[in-house]
Amino acid sequence: MGVVFVMGHSSHAGRWVAVFAVAFCAAALLLPFVGPFGLDLERVRARQEPDWSILVQLRVSRTLLGLFAGGALSLAGTLFQAMLSDALATPYTLGISAGASLGAVVAIWLGWQQVAGIPAIWVASLAGAAMVLALVVGSALQQRRVSSFSLLLSGLAANSVCSALIIVIYGLVSTTKSFSITRWLIGSVDSVDYSALSGFVAVVVLAAAVVMRQARSWNLMAVDPSWAATRGARVTRLTLSGYGAGSLLTAATVALTGPIGFVGLVVPHLIRTRIGADHRVLMPCAFLGGGVLLAGCDAIGRVVIAPSEIPAGAVMAILGGPYLVWVLRQRSPL
Amino acid sequence: MSIRLQIVDVAWHVNGRPVLSSVSLDIREREVAVVMGRNGAGKSTLLDIVAGLRQPTGGDVRLNDRPAAAWDPRDRARLVAHLPQAVRPDLPFLAGELVLMGRYPHTDRWFESDEDRLAVERAMRRTDCWDLRDRLVQTLSGGERQRVLLAACFAQAPQLLLLDEPSTHLDIDQQLHCFSLLREESARGAACLAVTHDLNLALTYATRLIVLAQGRVALDVPVEEAVRAPDWLALFSPRLSLCTTPSGRPWVSYS
Repeated sequence: MGVVFVMGHSSHAGRWVAVFAVAFCAAALLLPFVGPFGLDLERVRARQEPDWSILVQLRVSRTLLGLFAGGALSLAGTLFQAMLSDALATPYTLGISAGASLGAVVAIWLGWQQVAGIPAIWVASLAGAAMVLALVVGSALQQRRVSSFSLLLSGLAANSVCSALIIVIYGLVSTTKSFSITRWLIGSVDSVDYSALSGFVAVVVLAAAVVMRQARSWNLMAVDPSWAATRGARVTRLTLSGYGAGSLLTAATVALTGPIGFVGLVVPHLIRTRIGADHRVLMPCAFLGGGVLLAGCDAIGRVVIAPSEIPAGAVMAILGGPYLVWVLRQRSPL
Repeated sequence: MSIRLQIVDVAWHVNGRPVLSSVSLDIREREVAVVMGRNGAGKSTLLDIVAGLRQPTGGDVRLNDRPAAAWDPRDRARLVAHLPQAVRPDLPFLAGELVLMGRYPHTDRWFESDEDRLAVERAMRRTDCWDLRDRLVQTLSGGERQRVLLAACFAQAPQLLLLDEPSTHLDIDQQLHCFSLLREESARGAACLAVTHDLNLALTYATRLIVLAQGRVALDVPVEEAVRAPDWLALFSPRLSLCTTPSGRPWVSYS
């Protein structure tokens, strides 16, 4: 195993983060050229149509969305696993993603288009995520402390309730709307316009910065909240900012891509087993690696059954599931 | 540096059932105070309250004449370390990383300094676990893990050590080593408040014996006093008696 205790040396961290950063940039530069329609470099350089438009309008924005969406989900997974000391915690187990989905489905059902100039689906997703978070955290709150066990249980409950409501709404709507709900629920990375993309990237970068700044404290929380408290961390403040930032990362992503599972589970686990659990290294690597993985899966999904497409989330599950099981089998049993 | 821990009339109720009622203790530097009592006597609860992990339902905890709750968490963590009864066994961290976390309240740097790493090495060598530094905590045996947790407390360089059964899972030799380390800590001016079930370890290494029974302090005396009048053994079991070893040490035996 490649894990060696380096006593918190910055060089070790720097090396791995640099490797992942290079992969992230390489993916941003190369993946736009992958697709069912082969782009001609000469024509792109001469800005000839349709190559130039396909690259800039479709593929670049789609690749960037994949990179930042994958990063956001993977970082949120890492964060929730640390906060709940639970290897299976993801934005999905906490119900946040289901809440965001329910919000979006309600927006489609009621035919909302825009709220204050912002697409209604985004606003509704954020509202749904916030509502579920408040319900889940509120019900798990006892004496100003959050019990991670009741949090996971109420998260699962919220998940089931939201899924059931989505099914009910699905039965109520017309065929056209049910088609767009289905399409949305599959979860995929699609081209978005640049104003939406830049807003999304800004939110993700901001929330990620808030989370990563506290990486030392997440190390303590990953052991135990009382371990963190007796080492001088402000646990209540940490918990609130963690749930806030984690939900924002999840909801912003789900609003643009629909629910994409698994990236928040598979990436943190792979990096933890290969590089180590120190969140100062794990968090930036999980963000960059999650982005590369989702954008990569999207690129694969674009070409394997072209001209049809496989949604990125499906590619991720098909490839990532067996790989995760294989990696876990490599480790010695406890 | 001096340390004073005052526990004044502390009570802890859970669903109306009193676990601790009106517990008062005053502990100062150079003491190794051992808290004993039967299962469910409230020993760990008392330690948790002193560590700030539970708010007492009544009474006060004061550290160096200031209410414990008024301390800044980091200042307090530089003063007080807490050894938990257990951590989850599947921790993904290396043993050395766990000990390094003891340096958290001492630095604001993103990565620890050489001084921090030195403190970690010293602490791990003291508890005989430096060789385990590159091992994942989840692969350690119970006793090895206990030594790593103890090292994490020492790396924190506290003035007050709260230890919840520090000798669990340790072999006899390591149990003796563990308690002699507590004596070393008290010799440098720290205070130790340790929960244990081992009466002989307590009689050998403690300076002060505290027995909790029915949520109250049933006994709080210097060890010499406890040896002179051993009636308190009845609080644990009617089958205990105090005798003297050939080398003249007090020894609790059972019939």
